[in-house]
Amino acid sequence: MALIELKNLTYHYPLTNSPALQDLDLEVQEGEFLAIVGANGAGKSTLCYTISGFIPHFFKGELAGSVSVAGIDPTKAGLGEFVQKVGLVFQNPFNQISGSKFTVYEEIAFGLENLGIDPAEMRERVDEIIRLTRIEDLKDRSPYALSGGQQQRVALASILVMRPQILVLDEPTSQLDPIGSQEVFQVIKDMALQGMTIIMAEHKVEWVAEFADRILALSAGQAIKLGTPREVLGSPELPEHGIGISRYTQVARKALQAGLWPEKRSMPVTLDECVQGFQEIIA
Amino acid sequence: MKLINSIKRDFNTMTLVMIPVAIAINVVIGQIVALLKLPVYLDSIGTVLVAAICGPWAGALTGTLSNIIWGLLVDPNALPWFPVALFIGFVAGWCAVAGLFRTWWKVIITGILVALAAATVSTPIQVYLYGGITASGSSFITAFLLQTGRDLITAVLSTNFLVEPIDKIATCLLAFAIIKGLSTRYLARFPRPENITM
Amino acid sequence: MPDRLSFFIPRESRVHSLNPLTKLALAFSLIILAFFGPGLFLPVALYFFVLVPLSLLGKVGKEFLQTSFRLLLPLFAFLFVMQSLFYPGGETVIFSFWIFSATSEGVVFAFRTATRILVMVSSFLLLLLTTHPSTLMNDLSRRGVPASLSYIITSTLQIIPQMQARAVTIQDAQRSRGLDTGGNLINRIRSLLPLVGPLVFSSLVDVEERAIAIEARAFTLPVKKTSLIDIPDSRGEAVLRWVMAALSLMTIGYRIWLSLN
Ligand SMILES: Nc1ncnc2c1ncn2[C@@H]1O[C@H](COP(=O)(O)OP(=O)(O)OP(=O)(O)O)[C@@H](O)[C@H]1O
Ligand SMILES: [Mg+2]
Repeated sequence: MALIELKNLTYHYPLTNSPALQDLDLEVQEGEFLAIVGANGAGKSTLCYTISGFIPHFFKGELAGSVSVAGIDPTKAGLGEFVQKVGLVFQNPFNQISGSKFTVYEEIAFGLENLGIDPAEMRERVDEIIRLTRIEDLKDRSPYALSGGQQQRVALASILVMRPQILVLDEPTSQLDPIGSQEVFQVIKDMALQGMTIIMAEHKVEWVAEFADRILALSAGQAIKLGTPREVLGSPELPEHGIGISRYTQVARKALQAGLWPEKRSMPVTLDECVQGFQEIIA
Repeated sequence: MKLINSIKRDFNTMTLVMIPVAIAINVVIGQIVALLKLPVYLDSIGTVLVAAICGPWAGALTGTLSNIIWGLLVDPNALPWFPVALFIGFVAGWCAVAGLFRTWWKVIITGILVALAAATVSTPIQVYLYGGITASGSSFITAFLLQTGRDLITAVLSTNFLVEPIDKIATCLLAFAIIKGLSTRYLARFPRPENITM
Repeated sequence: MPDRLSFFIPRESRVHSLNPLTKLALAFSLIILAFFGPGLFLPVALYFFVLVPLSLLGKVGKEFLQTSFRLLLPLFAFLFVMQSLFYPGGETVIFSFWIFSATSEGVVFAFRTATRILVMVSSFLLLLLTTHPSTLMNDLSRRGVPASLSYIITSTLQIIPQMQARAVTIQDAQRSRGLDTGGNLINRIRSLLPLVGPLVFSSLVDVEERAIAIEARAFTLPVKKTSLIDIPDSRGEAVLRWVMAALSLMTIGYRIWLSLN
């Protein structure tokens, strides 16, 4: 059985008539990195909340179809079971600070205190995660006195330290400056390379194209495409749904029109593929 | 059992996160108003807000903690007054449960009831702790009433009945204005959204 | 942004390293002694022979005196003037002018009230100057105070300075747009709304996401929480706390016995 299985999922937020997600089917295997792309309001966050159990437990509303995440069924288990298996990091770094801790070190330990982990083990785990997320230099600072990028890495560390089986990331860099984004992407890449199962809503398609195993494209709550980055991002219908395409694809499209792109070659989605295409035409 | 359930009902995660924001609203607006030298305190808008959308117990807790926090950060003199703040939240909360937080004129009634509670509860504190005289301007009224031969408790109580309503009505109306500015979808996350919608 | 989260002054001292509960118990028993103990001069004695020496031992003597003067002087001045003139039971006139006359009963009453308040405020001040709020809350929740209560208090202490900073930003922005915040009463009330509105709504918007964030960190999971920080406590301190509790009870008992006779 796949680690995440959604069958025929339809979800309505409370007091709404049109579904935020409609007839969605999705299977994600252990160790896979799935990216979710879609225009504003397409349902990316809604899907992230569903996989992390906040839908239906926190948001209420109507959930139809079946959901199984790491063996948990939200109709049988509470949010508590979800948060022990699925870690959620979202857009606004500032709002993810617990608010009850005065240093970054204590902030990261907050989740472990709530899980009832023994203090000695707690310190080991916090030290380890601080190293992995490269925030050793921040550990004695106040979590509020950090830049957005630093806060987001602290948020990631605070979730990772709880050792979730699945990491759900909802546009974790959309509110960060380029340097902050770089730092956060680096940590995510490290986690992906270590074989963690990652679900990530993200609009920076160049990055997604390079690191995701598969991409799910959403539009108005429905899945319009699911496949490898090349299959999804190279597909011509994406812009119709208001989904940004990789700038390498854009270049190649223009080049194709001008007769500067090898006809048989598919549309590139990463820099490397783009360079290869041009090398071929020049040769 | 009924009591415990009634208390539990007020507290979900939204309440927990809301209370610190409400206390901060109390403290920061209280300080701004003091700075602008307005003839009111307006230091319990957050308390009334929580009382209306989360319930009386949450309101009482917000009031009490506001006072303690004010004592911790600004002035330890505030600490003994916590019962007043507690009752402001508690009474506002029950008023909201009774439907007195749905239209602006009902909110004025809530303001009056809250003022009566605040005046009554602060009187014994003022009398036994400070001998009836505190460092606020309204103590001049108390002194005047004492000069005209009233006994201490009557003097303090009448002073409080005179000065409290304006402040508490303004406080409740401002809290009401804030609630009107929030979306139904947001309010629905709190324990008692039915207090303000019909 | 004001970086002072509370009165706390981080220093190494014997008082700082006491268990927070011991300091809390000390504050409460001093207040009980001051209000219910015998004699007019007991509160002053407690102040000079217990509180001041402890503040010196805690290396916060200067801040202790400065802060208590700043907080209490206006109240005391007011109290003495008003009580000596208007104390209801006042008969022994010390001096009079125009329609007023000061009575010695009023002065004694003012002295009694002022010294009690002095002990009350400075007991807490000593606790606050030498104890980090998060240490206090950690220790209390370890002893059974609900974790949500300590969450609320510590998170409030962090939100307030942020909101104050935000208020300053909004105020500056409005002043630069020519909004008048001075002048007559109507003007000042009018200037309040555009300041308070944005401040309140922007902070309320954050609430939903913050609730999700602490849920994601298992805050409401029904397991017994552990604590990263180990707060030292000793047998000696526990004994001390029991002694203080007994002393407080005896004082209250003495007061009840007195009022019954
Ligand atoms: N709490 C809510 N209550 C009601 N409707 C909601 C709620 N949250 C989102 N929606 C609606 O559900 C739909 C999907 O929203 P969602 O936030 O999942 O989109 P998104 O793809 O994450 O968009 P964005 O790129 O803006 O983050 C939108 O139409 C939105 O208005
Ligand atoms: Mg979103």
